[in-house]
Amino acid sequence: MQRAVFAHIALHDWTHVFSPLRIRQCCLKHRALPVQLSSRAYSVIPPPRDEAEKALLHSMLRVDHAGEYGANRIYAGQMAVLGRSQIGPLIQEMWDQEKKHLAKFNEILAENRVRPTLLLPLWNVAGFLLGAGTALLGKEGAMACTVAVEESISEHYNSQIRALMEEDPDRYVELLKLIKEFRDDEMEHHDTGLEHDAESLPGYKLLKSAIQLGCTAAIFVSQRL
Amino acid sequence: MAALLRGLRVGRALRGFGSVVVPKTSSPQCNGLRRGFHCAALRLQEDKDKSIPVPPSSAASSTTTYHEHYRAPPSKNNTATYMHEAPAPEAAASEAAAKEAPQPNTSYADQSGEQGEEYETEEQLQAHILNAALDFVQLHGWTLEAISAGAETLGLSAASSGMFQNGAGDLVLHFIAQCNAQLTEQMAEQHNQVQLGQAEPKKTAEFLRDAVETRLRMLMPYIDNWPQAMSILLLPHNIPDSLKHLSTLVDDIWYYAGDRSTDLNWYTKRAALTGIYNTTELVMIQDSSEDFQDTWNFLENRIQDIVNMAGAAKQVASTGEAVAQGLMGAAVTLKNLTGINQRR
Repeated sequence: MQRAVFAHIALHDWTHVFSPLRIRQCCLKHRALPVQLSSRAYSVIPPPRDEAEKALLHSMLRVDHAGEYGANRIYAGQMAVLGRSQIGPLIQEMWDQEKKHLAKFNEILAENRVRPTLLLPLWNVAGFLLGAGTALLGKEGAMACTVAVEESISEHYNSQIRALMEEDPDRYVELLKLIKEFRDDEMEHHDTGLEHDAESLPGYKLLKSAIQLGCTAAIFVSQRL
Repeated sequence: MAALLRGLRVGRALRGFGSVVVPKTSSPQCNGLRRGFHCAALRLQEDKDKSIPVPPSSAASSTTTYHEHYRAPPSKNNTATYMHEAPAPEAAASEAAAKEAPQPNTSYADQSGEQGEEYETEEQLQAHILNAALDFVQLHGWTLEAISAGAETLGLSAASSGMFQNGAGDLVLHFIAQCNAQLTEQMAEQHNQVQLGQAEPKKTAEFLRDAVETRLRMLMPYIDNWPQAMSILLLPHNIPDSLKHLSTLVDDIWYYAGDRSTDLNWYTKRAALTGIYNTTELVMIQDSSEDFQDTWNFLENRIQDIVNMAGAAKQVASTGEAVAQGLMGAAVTLKNLTGINQRR
């Protein structure tokens, strides 16, 4: 059915074919569930109804952006030390995924005029030092750091998902989808870290608690500042 | 105090009647006359003669009741303060006026063509008064006197200025909020034109200069009293609000100039523009040149400074990177020469 419609459209001018309105109309006709045709079809967060909602959404996006930025820098630090070792390609792969997350958040922040956190230079340096420092403990150190950080981030995303679901799951459907997708990626990194002997590091538990404490503090501060 | 209680009682009684719709036509005499007490008095006389129209929906009645609670005292105060008419018909007329309280729908509203604007929220009323007060700033300065004079223009009592807890601060903040809104509207309009392809996008420096100049030109009618306004804005209880207005202004200007940064540049750009705006404002208040040309020259120079600094910063960064790479290369060469690398 869809193919027939597209074939029909193919006969017309291409600029009309690919106009967003046309595509939206096509999707609307053939989607199983009814979709609300809103002007925000292409943005992730809905236009805020009042100041309180705006403050809440902006602080959530600000802290998520800071988190992805920090994770980016941690992987950069790890690559600086272990880039040329056997574990290098794996860390590079995880780093590339984090880069994609950061790019997405940059886009959302720019689009919605959200102020980034003032502490970004701090997370820049701290993240790099953390990544490089744990990587100096060897491959297990780097993996332990990854496990700790990814666990913190997943926990944080989960609490955001819970908060949004409590508020109004329909209103924030796209934001929820995005956060869930990113949370699944982070969980995957966490599991990868565990698979690669993170727990065999001596002092693993201590290091993990210390890093997670730092992450919690960072999240707390970035939400406010 | 007694007047207030009377007003409350009137309000409560009126809730039974529901409330009133403003008669569509206003007195031709009032349209012509300079707004003043006579105009309000004439209206009061007329309304007494007109019949009370159909009460509107209950939704409006609560705001109207509030409005009447507010309106009744001023008409009583008017009778007390200005004894131009005989007290008896005045009292009766003001009773009628209180019954049809939304009425001294002022000449401001009429002249703008607004016919149906019967009920006002408190904020709208305050905004009307402050707008009227701006006309008197040249005469009275940024003070409660200006607000009182503005209130009188609208047919309200001079004591209505007591509604403004912050006094002159309210007037100044209202004015700057209005100017900022106007500027944002203009920039949004320009932005739309560029999106539609009807206008060329401006370069950043030019856009910033035009935006700041437009905004500062809005101060020109009030420039003689502006130092007073600035000092009012610096009072401790006004600082949070004035900072908020300033930061929103600067954020809007950068947004429409095309800034979409999400790192520390967000802060440095806004800090720089805040500095430029404030210093240019200070230059403006003591500028005596023709059409403030010195001020605009100063602005142009400051913006050029920023542009130069940004360019210099980029150069420093790229030079730094090149130097770092050079050092790394030298270190690797040394390691090769001394044979350290071969141990691996």
